[in-house]
This record gives sequence, C-alpha cells and structure tokens, in this order.
Amino acid sequence: MVETFNNLMLGFSVALQPQILVYAFIGCVIGTLVGMMPGLGPLAGISLLLPATFGLNPIIAIVLLAGVYYGAMYGGSTTSILMRIPGEAASVMTCVDGYAMTLNGRAGPALAIAAIGSFVAGTVGVVGLMLLAPTLAAFALRFGPPEYTALLLMGLFILAYMSGGSMLKTLAMAVFGLLLGMIGIDVMSGYTRFSFDVVELGDGVGIVPVAVGLFGVSEILLSAGGTAAPQVQQPKMRDLIPSRDELMLSVGPIARGSLLGFMIGIIPGSAHIISSFVSYGIERRISRHPERFGNGAIEGVAGPESANNSAATGAFVPMMALGIPTSPVTAVMIAAIMVHGVLPGPMLIQQQPELFWGFVASMYVGNVVLLILNLPMVGLFVNLLRIPYAYLYPCILCFCILGTYSVSNSVADVWILLAMGGVGYVLRKFGFDLAPVALGLVLAPMLELSLRQSLAMSAGDYGIFLHRPIATTMLGLCAVLFLFSLKPLLFKGKDWRSEVGLEGDKG
Amino acid sequence: MLLALALYVGWENRVYPVGTLQEPGPGYLPLLLAVFLGAMGILIAFWGIRSAPLATMKWSEATRAVVILAACAAATFALERLGYRLTMVVLLVFFLGVLERRRPVPVVLVSLGFSLASFYVIGDLLHVPLPRSPWGF
Repeated sequence: MVETFNNLMLGFSVALQPQILVYAFIGCVIGTLVGMMPGLGPLAGISLLLPATFGLNPIIAIVLLAGVYYGAMYGGSTTSILMRIPGEAASVMTCVDGYAMTLNGRAGPALAIAAIGSFVAGTVGVVGLMLLAPTLAAFALRFGPPEYTALLLMGLFILAYMSGGSMLKTLAMAVFGLLLGMIGIDVMSGYTRFSFDVVELGDGVGIVPVAVGLFGVSEILLSAGGTAAPQVQQPKMRDLIPSRDELMLSVGPIARGSLLGFMIGIIPGSAHIISSFVSYGIERRISRHPERFGNGAIEGVAGPESANNSAATGAFVPMMALGIPTSPVTAVMIAAIMVHGVLPGPMLIQQQPELFWGFVASMYVGNVVLLILNLPMVGLFVNLLRIPYAYLYPCILCFCILGTYSVSNSVADVWILLAMGGVGYVLRKFGFDLAPVALGLVLAPMLELSLRQSLAMSAGDYGIFLHRPIATTMLGLCAVLFLFSLKPLLFKGKDWRSEVGLEGDKG
Repeated sequence: MLLALALYVGWENRVYPVGTLQEPGPGYLPLLLAVFLGAMGILIAFWGIRSAPLATMKWSEATRAVVILAACAAATFALERLGYRLTMVVLLVFFLGVLERRRPVPVVLVSLGFSLASFYVIGDLLHVPLPRSPWGF
C-alpha cells in the first residue's frame, strides 16, 4: 500500500506539470465536444487526434487521448439529456429518463447528477486501475504464448457474448476483423499475404482508417439525411442544483453503477455501452417504483452515467497491464503509444513507472477538470448543437479524410477509410456489431504469432493448451460461453441481455 | 455475403503454404478463419429465415450515402494531385452547395474557412505534411 502511495505521488509529480495539465485540459475539452456531436464518438475523436500526438512525448500523448476518451463519456450525456440525441452509444440509456426530466423541467438536476455520477465513477475507476493493474501485470508475467493465445481467444468470445444482438453475427465480425489483420507481411515466414500488389498493404491495414471508417463515416452515411438545426434547451447555472430527494435517490445508483461499470470495463467488448444498459436494468429492477423509469427517474440517469464512465476507466486495466486492447478505443490508444516506442504490457509498469503512474494521476486531474468544465460551461457547450447538421457532417467527413491521411501520409489509407465506411454502413443496416471488427484487426497478429509460437514450443502438440492450467481454464470458459450462446438459439426464452435492454435477436 | 467472402479468401489463400496441423504455414490461419467465417455465414442465414424479409428494410438514405461516398472517392483521387486545400474547398462546395443546397455566401465561407484553417493547424502548426497543389498552395 505504501509502495502504491509512493508511486501515485510519483504520478502526481508528473501529472501536475503545467504542460501536462494543459494537455489534459485540452483533451477533456475536445472529448466533451466530440462526445456531444452525433457521428463523432470517442473512437473517431481519438483516431482523428492521433496524428497530432506524434510530435508529443508519450506521457502527454496518452494523457491527451485519455482526456478525449473520458471527456466524450461526459459530453455524450449532455445531448442525451437535453435533446434525446445520444452523442455516443454509451449514452443511449441516459436519453430515456434524462430527456423525460428535461420535459419535466428538471434538465439542470439531470445534468448535475450526470456530472457528479461521472466524477465519482471516474474516480472509483482510477482507484481500481491503480490497485488492479500492477497486480494483474505481475500475474501476467507468468504468461507464455499458450496463455496469450487462450487469453486472446477468451477476449473475443467474451466480447461476442457480451455484445448486444446475435453472438453468431458478433463472432462473424470478429473473424472478419481477424482476416483483415492477416493482410500484410507474415512475421514468421516473410510471406506478403492478400496485398494484391499494393505496396502500402504490405505493412498491413491500419487500425485508424478501419476504425474511423467503420464508426465515423458509416454513422454519417446513415444519418446524412437530417439537416434541420435542433431545438436546444440552455440551462442556467442556478437551475443545476438537485433537490435533497434527488441527491438521496442518486447515491445508491452512483455507487452501484461505479462498481458495476468498473468490473464490466475490464471485460473485452464495448464495455461502456453494455455497462450503461446493465446498470439501467438493475436500477429499474431493484427500484420500489419501477413505473417511474421512463418518466424522469433520476436513478435512470445516475446509474448508467456512472457505469459508463467507470467502465471507460476499467478498460485501461487490461490495456496497461496485459497490453491487450479490450475495445476499439483502447486498440487505437495502444497504436498511439506504440508510435512512441512504448509497448504496453506487463513490463510497462516496472520499466516506465513515470508513464503509468503519470497517466493514473492525470486521470484524477482530468476528472476534476471535467467536473469543473461540465457544470458551469454546459450552456456554452450546447451552442455547438445549434449548428445545422448539413454544415456539420461535411466538416466531420473532411476531418476523417484529413486525420486518416495524416497518420502515414498515405492515400491508400484514405481508400481503406472509404471502403470501411461503405462496408460499415451495409453491415449496420443488417444489424451487425462493428466493434469486433476493429478488435479482431488489432488482435490478429498477436493471436497468430502466439498460436504458432505455442506450437513451435510443443513441437506441434496441441496438448500444450490443455497441460497449462491458466490456458486450459481460459479455453474452458470460451467453450462454456459458446454453449451458452447456443442455448437461446435452440430453446425459446430470453437471456440476460434482453432482460437488461440489450437487443436479443438471435439470428 | 459472409459465405462469398469466405470463399473468396479461401481462393486467394491457395497461393500461400498452409503447412501442417503441427507446423502451420502462412496460409493456415487465414484458411481456418475463412472456414469459420463461412460456417458462421451459413448459420446466420439459417437462423435468419425467422427474421424479417430483406424487402422490408428501408434504404431511404442509400442514394445520398452513395453520392457522399462517391464525392469522397473523387476527393481522395484528387488529394495528391490538386493539393489538400483546393480538394477540400471543392468537396465542401459540393456537399454544402450542391447536395445540401445552402446559400452561396455561407458555402464559400465554410469551405474556405475550414480548408485554410485546418491546413494551418494540422499542416503548419503541427507540422504534418499535407499535399500541396502543383501551383504551390
């Protein structure tokens, strides 16, 4: 505990440097704006900002990008509450009761509770990250290639199981992502695969054009028809103070949402989205007056908003401790810090403590910045929403092209961006979840390398996965999850996902 | 769709050595994934029989989406030929003036403002090399 405290002090000595404070602030502001704009989620925001971090040192780069990530979590709630437009997917549940509170004239308290819940949850998440990541990293030092193979497979299966909708579709998308990851030079044999004589494809397909195309461009293609400037309520500072009853009702949901969100955040998948759905479902279920939900229950704002912020922080645990992304956002962030020669994983915390602990401390600072930023300045931020979408989306598209081109100054990347935008549009029309594609793309080289290393270690004996307890346990969990996913296909009945509000279509 | 993709990957993969089960080659995992994707495609199609028919899906925004993608493709083609600023001005004029039918003055202001400001911030301040036109701007 003393060691953790000393490390945290080291982190604060880094995070409180004026330069880092400024970048944390900039990241939070950009994140808040990105979170508020429909069509620009945290992933697209981080991807677009990525080239701008190349000239920065790795600590500043990760502090800036992390600020964008959790800033977007905050920002998404504002549009959900005031306009019933979720700025990003994790805020969908906030729309239900948040907007109902706005209609009831309680927009201010809804915004305040969302900000307070986000602050508490963000802080809980950082404490969890601080305590859990070093322990997990120490444990992960025991991992060899078979354990990594099993871990990566388990991640994909958990992602498929936790995602809303059909597990078959999600697994298919994960495989599609893995196949995209096969493009380029095979590191073990030197073969260039699926490059179609395009020199740029020899290095493989980058995460940025794929992520921005799938999530940014496809969203614009789906929603470009809407052009009217929306009506926006602009709450004043004095309207923000919640009543005593509202505060009391929010304490439990914030506490539960924070813990639940953090636990779900560690699990692979679109954790921040799932956590808000699960939190809403739990709050409605344990409420003495479930009929209030949907009509402006403050618990329906406090729980999901806390959960999605805590989950956003929880996602950093496997990223930092294992070097494995559990969501497209952390995949892009890993790419961002690898550009600087920093390799996230078990050795990072030991070898570069100032980076890890500086990052942790900067998140404490970022949470305070966001609380200060979000409450008094909400009236200012909502002005952005008055820009007609007809003006907004062409600029966002140009930003997508600019950001993608800037990563490696390659037009080939922009072609990939557009192709992925088109593919993403069609796949979303057919109800496919796109997060596994981005995740599969990043995990493919790791999975292939660790699988082939495992077989090289065992002279081709697949029994190596069954003789090592950690790998066996993880593969066993994969099998169990796959069997669970078949259950609703074969037998009628609802599974837990449909009960908490996630889509339950199985087909 | 998924089955077709799986078959295509399997076909393209034939030139890479698959190796053996004990010693996989560069074509091993792509083939395995193609088989898995094909199987998923068949299962999804099988259970999809119960879902709503394809004809009931609404594609009202599809034409606009195709036009937007085509315009972006033309801009990508022109990016290194005409330079960043000129390409973005033309692209934004097309989106705002032709597709969205906005008034000329805001169209010109937004198009010029966005392309010049973004070039200044990304290209000049952050030193990201953005393409210039043959005429030097």
